[in-house]
Amino acid sequence: MTSPNLWEVLDRACNTGPVIPGKDFDMKLFHTVTRLIKEHDIKYDPNTPVTSDDGLADEAWKAGRELFEEVGSYCINSGRVIKFDSSEIGDGLRDLRGDAVVGDGAERRVLSLRSVEDKRPPSIVCGGVIESDFPEGENFVKLYQSIAQEPFIDGFYVGPPLHTSEGRLVRSGTPLEMHSGKSMATWVREAVRRAGRPGLHFISACTPSIANVAASDPIEGIRRSDGIVATIMPELKTDYENLNKVTFAHDYGCVKHIYNGGMIGGWAGGPEGALLASIANALMAVMVYKINVGSSYNALGYLRASAPNYSAFVTRPCIWGSSIGSQALSRNTKIINTGLAMTNAGPGTEMQFQEMAAAQCAAIPCGREGLSQGARRFKVRPLLGSGLENRFWSEVGYAMAGVKRDLANTIANSLLAKYETKITRESDGGPPGYTFDEIYDLTTLKPRQQFIDVYEKAKKDLEDLGLEFRN
Amino acid sequence: MSIEERVLQKLYEAVLNFDSTAAENAAKEAMALNMDPIKAIEEGLARGLREIGDKFERGELYLPHLIMGADAMEAAIKVLEGHMTQSGLEAINRGTVVIGTVEGDIHDLGLRIVSSMLRANGFKVYDLGFNTKSLDFIEKAKEVNADIIAVSSLMTTTMPFMKDLIEALEASGLRSKFLVIVGGGPVTEQWAKEIGADGYGRDAAEAVRAARELMKRKRGSAP
Repeated sequence: MTSPNLWEVLDRACNTGPVIPGKDFDMKLFHTVTRLIKEHDIKYDPNTPVTSDDGLADEAWKAGRELFEEVGSYCINSGRVIKFDSSEIGDGLRDLRGDAVVGDGAERRVLSLRSVEDKRPPSIVCGGVIESDFPEGENFVKLYQSIAQEPFIDGFYVGPPLHTSEGRLVRSGTPLEMHSGKSMATWVREAVRRAGRPGLHFISACTPSIANVAASDPIEGIRRSDGIVATIMPELKTDYENLNKVTFAHDYGCVKHIYNGGMIGGWAGGPEGALLASIANALMAVMVYKINVGSSYNALGYLRASAPNYSAFVTRPCIWGSSIGSQALSRNTKIINTGLAMTNAGPGTEMQFQEMAAAQCAAIPCGREGLSQGARRFKVRPLLGSGLENRFWSEVGYAMAGVKRDLANTIANSLLAKYETKITRESDGGPPGYTFDEIYDLTTLKPRQQFIDVYEKAKKDLEDLGLEFRN
Repeated sequence: MSIEERVLQKLYEAVLNFDSTAAENAAKEAMALNMDPIKAIEEGLARGLREIGDKFERGELYLPHLIMGADAMEAAIKVLEGHMTQSGLEAINRGTVVIGTVEGDIHDLGLRIVSSMLRANGFKVYDLGFNTKSLDFIEKAKEVNADIIAVSSLMTTTMPFMKDLIEALEASGLRSKFLVIVGGGPVTEQWAKEIGADGYGRDAAEAVRAARELMKRKRGSAP
């Protein structure tokens, strides 16, 4: 048997799933998570951000699967629950192939399943910039050229729409936003062409589905070897916009990239609940967003909703959840799972490099395929983002291949001790960092020496902790 | 401990234990004792909800706890309301807030947190949810005679709708009637100033502080 196809899933989401109020769904999730945490004896251990406990990873997997089976997922437009029985979920997991093909021509890459402590380097390291807030035109092209010219980058994420389109302010849901999606894709193609890598894979995170539709073009836009990002909202929720993206990607035949994660402090409760929710969210990516069809991969992250309202992805509880979630999925499924991380510190700072390396500790040694979204600081200002942090993602990603979880735990603990006390309300989470034109000489598109020095020091500190970089 | 103190303790514990039935029963006990309903709320129920809010701030409790605590408090208040005068009802309200996420933005988790924290701090909250149009904020604020309109955005492309709200208030001659607080992931204090908002909350705790401060100024003394 095969799992319910996309049309059956859409029927449940739009027409036939039971209708319940959103609050009832959220509270059912919370009560179910609370019970499952006890039944499976999942306990947050702040001293071990990267665990080597296979049993814990397997228990988390079982609990996450039970959560998804009991609660299902929720479409906020229709108010309908999209549920699957155990046999359908089993079929859905069996349908996964364990690889995903991305990129075109010389840049064609195969993402494959990596095991925990796998010695093979991640076959793809996707960098990029989140919330780029870049001006349209030449600087936008140069930003992505600075990323594409990094030799170990095999693809990248292109953030939400530009602030302006044709010089006019872009508002969500307006025609200018749709047009900015088309422009972005064209400029990204120009950026990869200038880097000599015209087939390089990218994933489009345009917010409205129509912008992705407008930007899709087998030559000049989002190609079939590129991807469209669809999001699972906390927790286990979707909407018609995201289902539109999934359906279009399905019809067009491009890569689906699913972005999801557990929210600490939100509907699932604390770190343990967010861990279970993240595993259930990954199952939703299989069953509802159909990453078991075509070339698709998943990105799993951890956010923190409770105060202090910083620290997405890279605080101690987030790294703990991320390390176990990575291992749970790697050990029990064929989901191609990449990590993502948003930092508190801005580009070009020592703290941001430390946060990125800590995030990698919970990803590559724990069975993930790579990193799929770049560094972003909250409260962004324009031009924050550059190729340099993407170079760091790739170098650390390769260095982490083959690293034992014990060492990853030691490195993560050491890095956390260096930066976690800096994440305060007073500091607005950390240093804001530097803009693209401050970090790079835009004429030669090379990083300035001041930032290369910060970069090399961050690498040296990691070497001192036992990480070996490729020469 | 006197009988009255014991009942206040029951009200406090019922909220802290997220127990709506116990809160309702304790409220009935309070009324049987002819306790001042305002005292039952301020020294019993609200104390419990504030403690939940403090624990949320410290990362010890989570969003569902805020909601369950508020539900327990509301169950008790339904009992107490029947014994309160209009002036008593007004006295316990620290301010009326119409809250929602702006048009085009479907993020609501932060919104629910702020909404619950405001309730925990004695505000009467009308939560319009996500993807709320400016005119809907204004219509609701007029309908419930709100003091504050609180709007959030999690995307840079939906932030301009905050500006629209303020412009719509100005165009309809209502700007001086309602205070406006903005917040959300990408929203900064500078943006709040640029668009002419009255207050800004970097997170839920700051949003509550901003709301209290604005109400203090509006009423001319501590609410």
